[in-house]
This record gives sequence, C-alpha cells and structure tokens, in this order.
Amino acid sequence: MAFQILLNVFIAIVWMLMNSSFSATSFMIGYLIGLVLLILMGGFFKHRLYVWRLWAAVKLFFLFLRELTMSNISVLMLVLKPKLDLQPMIFALPTDLKHDWELTLLSSLITLTPGTVVLYVSDDQRTLYVHAIDVDDVDEAIYSIKNTFERAIKEVSRP
Amino acid sequence: MKTNDVILQTTTKVVFFIIFLFSIHIFFAGHYTPGGGFVGGLLTTGALLLLLLAFDLKTVRKALPFNFLIVVALGLLIALLTSAWPMLFNEPFLTHAFGDYDLPFLGESSLHTATLFDLGVYLVVVGAGMTMIQTIGGDT
Repeated sequence: MAFQILLNVFIAIVWMLMNSSFSATSFMIGYLIGLVLLILMGGFFKHRLYVWRLWAAVKLFFLFLRELTMSNISVLMLVLKPKLDLQPMIFALPTDLKHDWELTLLSSLITLTPGTVVLYVSDDQRTLYVHAIDVDDVDEAIYSIKNTFERAIKEVSRP
Repeated sequence: MKTNDVILQTTTKVVFFIIFLFSIHIFFAGHYTPGGGFVGGLLTTGALLLLLLAFDLKTVRKALPFNFLIVVALGLLIALLTSAWPMLFNEPFLTHAFGDYDLPFLGESSLHTATLFDLGVYLVVVGAGMTMIQTIGGDT
C-alpha cells in the first residue's frame, strides 16, 4: 500500500517536472493521472490497489457513526426506563486480529460506542474483556461486535 | 503485576506526534499569537512525559539518548550568544535585528532574532523539565 502511494506521488512529481509548473493544481492533475495509470496497471501489483483499502476505511468510519447513533439511542432508552432491570455483564471476546493497531482500533471503537467498555487485553492479545451494560445473550453480543467492527477492520487491513 | 498495555502504547505512538507537532506550532506562533518558547517547551516535555508513562524510563532513554543537562546548557548558551552578539557591533546588550526576506518555498517571511532567544528558552524548559522528571523517576 505504501509503495503504491509513493509511486502515485512520484508520478505526480514527474508530471509537475514535465509541465514545469509547480503548483498544487498541477500536482493534483498529475496525481489523478497517476491514479488512472495505477488502475490500468492494477494486475501487476501483488496486493490490491490502495484505493480499495482507503474506501474500506471510509466505510468503517460510517459504520462507526451508525453504530454510535444506534447504541446512543439504546442507552438513552435504558436511562429513561422507569424500571431498572439491567443485565450488566463482563464477557470475553475472542479476536483474531494480529497487529497492535488493529487491536487498539477495535478496542477504541468498542469503548466509544455507549454501553460497552473494554476493560482488559489478555497477555497473548487474543481475548478482549468487555463490560456491557445490558446483555440478554452473550453469544449475540459477541457476534454483533465480530460481525460489524472486526469484519470492517479486517477489510481495511487486508493487503 | 505486569499488564498488557497494548492500547495505551499504540495510542501513545500516534498521539505523541500530534502533541509534538502542536508544541512546534505553539513555539513559532509566539510572535503574533499566544504561545512562545515557554509553553512550547512545556508541551514538548508533556509529550515526552506521555512516552515515559506509556513505556518505561529505560526505553525512552534509549530512544532519546540526550543528556538533558547538556540541553539546558545549550539553551542558555544560545540565549547568551543571541543577546551578546549585538555588542560586537557597538549596539546595547539584547538588541534584536529583524527584516523581511523572500525565502525559497516559504515566500515572504519576516525573520527576527528574538526567535533564536526563544529557542534558548525552549531548550532550557525542555531540558530542565526532563531532568527533573528523570531524576525523580529514575534510580540515578
């Protein structure tokens, strides 16, 4: 991914040198031309184009916004409910994310959505201990986190 | 008990650079807007302190192998030289020179020797803060 971005910037600089105009506009034009060239030459790269990973990151951002809104509303409902029949719970969330930044991102996303907080990361970094404010079914809570955030993060980090 | 600090450490690696960048911005903003050598230096010390909190003293010392007492001395020397320099040209002590220059890439910019004096203040604040923290926190 880094190599492709570097190549794209390099193409843009070569474009600026060819036109001998050093402005932000000609850099942008060169960058866009480089992007088209990269897409044309996509088959030569070992990994997929970095544009798709960027797109996955944007999708993750909007997924986070949606989850944030939804869980804010559900926590608001819990707060406003006259009868306090919560079922708080600490459960272990198995994860197969490898890099440190993936794990940090997942923990931050879980913590930022109301209702769930990451308490502890196990020493082998394969289990997160999560506190949730109201859980009916542990398996369902684990599944929903794995299916939304973890899958989107994996999509971003796939080379 | 040794806990797994992966979240703290990974976040620190990102946030450290943001704080450091902000401290440099504050340092250069000092002439026209609030900021300057003292706050910039304190912010840099804060960034280094965050590194010390997330990692340990030995790791940070290995990554930044400065003797911060020498940084204090360097800062004082820079401040002294910029204030004493005008005396060579029959000007009073602490006279500053400034002017507008057309720099390549940066364009029209006004340079002032007070920035060099501020750099001295910055280095003294960073050095003194880090010396205090390392002396209190370390064995030696």
